[in-house]
Amino acid sequence: MSWSDALHASVLACAVYLCLVYASYLVLMAVGLVEGRRRRRQRRLEDLDAAAASRFFPPVSVVVAAYNEASALPAAVRSLLDLEYPEFEVVVVDDGSTDDTLARLDEVFDLVPVDVSSRDVVATEPVRAFYRSGRDPRLLVAAKTGGGKADALNVGLNLARHRYVCGVDADTVFARDALGATMQAFMRDPGTVVGITSFVEIAEDPGAALVGGVEYRLPDRRPLLVYQALDYLRAFMNNRVAWSRFDFMLCAVGAFQIWRRDVLDELGGWSRDYTCEDIELTFRVHRHMREQGRPYRVLCLPDRVGVTEGPDTVRKLVAQRERWQRVILETWWSYRTMCFNPRYGSVGLVGMPFYLVSEIVAPVFELLAVWTLVAGAATGLVDWWLAGAVVLAITFVNSLFSTGSLLIADLETGAYRTSALIRVLALMPLEILVYRPIASWARVKGTWRFLRGDKAWHKFERNARAEAA
Amino acid sequence: MDGRTAAAIACALAGGTWSLLAVGALVRRGRFSRRKRALAAAAPAVALPPEPVRGYGWPDDEREATLAFLEANVPDTGETEDQVLLRRALASREPEVRRAAVTALGKLADRHDWAIDWLIEALAEGRDTPARVASELDRLAPRVGTRLVPLLGHPSSVVRFYAVRLLARHGEAGRRLAAGLVSDRSPNVRAAALETLRTVDSGEALRSSLRLLDDPNAHVRAHACRTACSIGGASAAPFVLPLLGDRSWAVRDAAVQALVSAGKDVAPAMLQALEHRDEPVRSGAALVLQDVGHVDELLERGDHTGALERIFAAGGERLRTAASERARLRGSLPAGPRPLASGADA
Repeated sequence: MSWSDALHASVLACAVYLCLVYASYLVLMAVGLVEGRRRRRQRRLEDLDAAAASRFFPPVSVVVAAYNEASALPAAVRSLLDLEYPEFEVVVVDDGSTDDTLARLDEVFDLVPVDVSSRDVVATEPVRAFYRSGRDPRLLVAAKTGGGKADALNVGLNLARHRYVCGVDADTVFARDALGATMQAFMRDPGTVVGITSFVEIAEDPGAALVGGVEYRLPDRRPLLVYQALDYLRAFMNNRVAWSRFDFMLCAVGAFQIWRRDVLDELGGWSRDYTCEDIELTFRVHRHMREQGRPYRVLCLPDRVGVTEGPDTVRKLVAQRERWQRVILETWWSYRTMCFNPRYGSVGLVGMPFYLVSEIVAPVFELLAVWTLVAGAATGLVDWWLAGAVVLAITFVNSLFSTGSLLIADLETGAYRTSALIRVLALMPLEILVYRPIASWARVKGTWRFLRGDKAWHKFERNARAEAA
Repeated sequence: MDGRTAAAIACALAGGTWSLLAVGALVRRGRFSRRKRALAAAAPAVALPPEPVRGYGWPDDEREATLAFLEANVPDTGETEDQVLLRRALASREPEVRRAAVTALGKLADRHDWAIDWLIEALAEGRDTPARVASELDRLAPRVGTRLVPLLGHPSSVVRFYAVRLLARHGEAGRRLAAGLVSDRSPNVRAAALETLRTVDSGEALRSSLRLLDDPNAHVRAHACRTACSIGGASAAPFVLPLLGDRSWAVRDAAVQALVSAGKDVAPAMLQALEHRDEPVRSGAALVLQDVGHVDELLERGDHTGALERIFAAGGERLRTAASERARLRGSLPAGPRPLASGADA
């Protein structure tokens, strides 16, 4: 095979791959738009205020797993205690932090040492101490020996008193109506809906971005944050919302995931065998329910429930994204027998293959595209005019998907200012040059580390935050 | 068509579509901002009215038209033809339309009694999620009152459950009605009846709750603990105490919470329970003594009876450590650095 033949084959493979991925994204975006509109109407037609004050909405146990989160945790907990929902408790589990996480919590919430009883349905590392807030008795803090995030969440599950358990991240600040809006969706079909996740935005400093728990400021200045915000928008509005419409919602995100406690108990809680616990649990729920032939649904809502922290440097971003890639690979590989298996319905026939195409093999094609360009340039076989036109077309298609998700989110939340929208729209075409190479590099790195069996979390340093008033 | 032409067409198509969508997003945002500003200038406290629904212009699309009507016109309705439309919406096969009708009825019921009747009917016939209908009816207490009575004998336990819970906001008479359901065949209804009875100060209610402490259903036993202690206070403690050792964690936890809510008067009964043959009862009693403040009191004034040691023996090491930390915080023990159980000292 000559260089020319190899290059042609490579170009053809990349083109077919790109067309396949873009076609599926286009379908998902269209579904996302329809679903977004349906949800907006639902919210208008439902009396959310009555729900927020209702005695008839089930109480929720919110579990926050924290490890070395001294700077972020107080704002997260404060926003949780400010939630507008009739009855809930907040259980913070400190997973053996080595910084002053507990001291900061004590400073803000006046922790009083107590002992409490625990259900002990899932085996965990031992809890060394419990604290109840002297300012708000709904807040319980458990200090345990380090065992990882899944283990910390399982301690929360053991302590959870209520029928619904909401796992959240310690670096996220929550909107006041986060629980109210989500639990409405549970109450529409409490027998079938077993899990819900919802849209989470990102910001450099979530506490400053979500003003008063209501008004959100879209990052529009720092390109790195803007592109991450767009990435989140696409992931939620164009993907997860549409997946849940077709019953293959495969990732209830760690930042905000509500599960029925009986389902978590049945499955033995979150698994410690994976780098990250959220995707794996979602896969496990699907497999378990489908194997048992039980009717169930796992949903993703387009409602913005909170703002989480986005890495503010390239190094942190790569560390985060390479971990995500490893997690996807670990989980997909563990559950590979579900792929193309009709027993698992849309999860096996659509969801798993979609993950395979859009996430698992993506780094292979990204590397192939780079190789084609380099090899073509070296051998003088590249038609630069054609290459430029293709890159431009890809840029526009990416921008189209980003704008679609931005539109869905703006229709849903009405939160973005016109000036911010203009700046974000202007930055969109540059994403392929500025952000994509970083994301691709992180994916390649993640794939490599997966192949080497690396399961470390590689936690990065938190961004600097404004001091809370 | 050669590669260059194909690429150029793809480029133009993608670029054109993106530009259109981007301009559309900006125009929409501009309109929304203008509308928001105009409304803010007119009446700063008024919430934004719902956006117009596209489907409203299609008279043949009944579903869209009904939804648009329910969204836009509800606050001022009450006309006969509107009632006809609402009636049809409530009977619709579309859950979304029925849900909208329930929300509309909730608003109308503030002024029209017929809307209350329709909401009760919606609850009885399962027109919408019962929790949503019940939430609307709950706001309307005490006007709902005796209209709930027929629901107490409804064949569906879900309807009976919500009816009996709603009675809690209807005074003494409502709670008397609830007492009749403590023997219901459905455990959820029995638990709901106990919940409603919780605020009643009557011997009959107390007797009912004490009787249900032995109910085969854990959920009912948990509610019975709460109701018994809420009505009977510390006098109910000897009856609730054995449930500290219940086989269900939810009941054990409910028993602890219930006894704590009865206050410090439960301390003598709890001190006696420290000698109980069941370990969970002993540790539960220790937790109650901690939560009512008895442990701190003993530490403050000095204990010469050995009670503190018995509590710590029953409650375990964590209870002892927590108590000494609290004492240190209050200054009852020698001052020192705050010994928070951080990972650093693990």
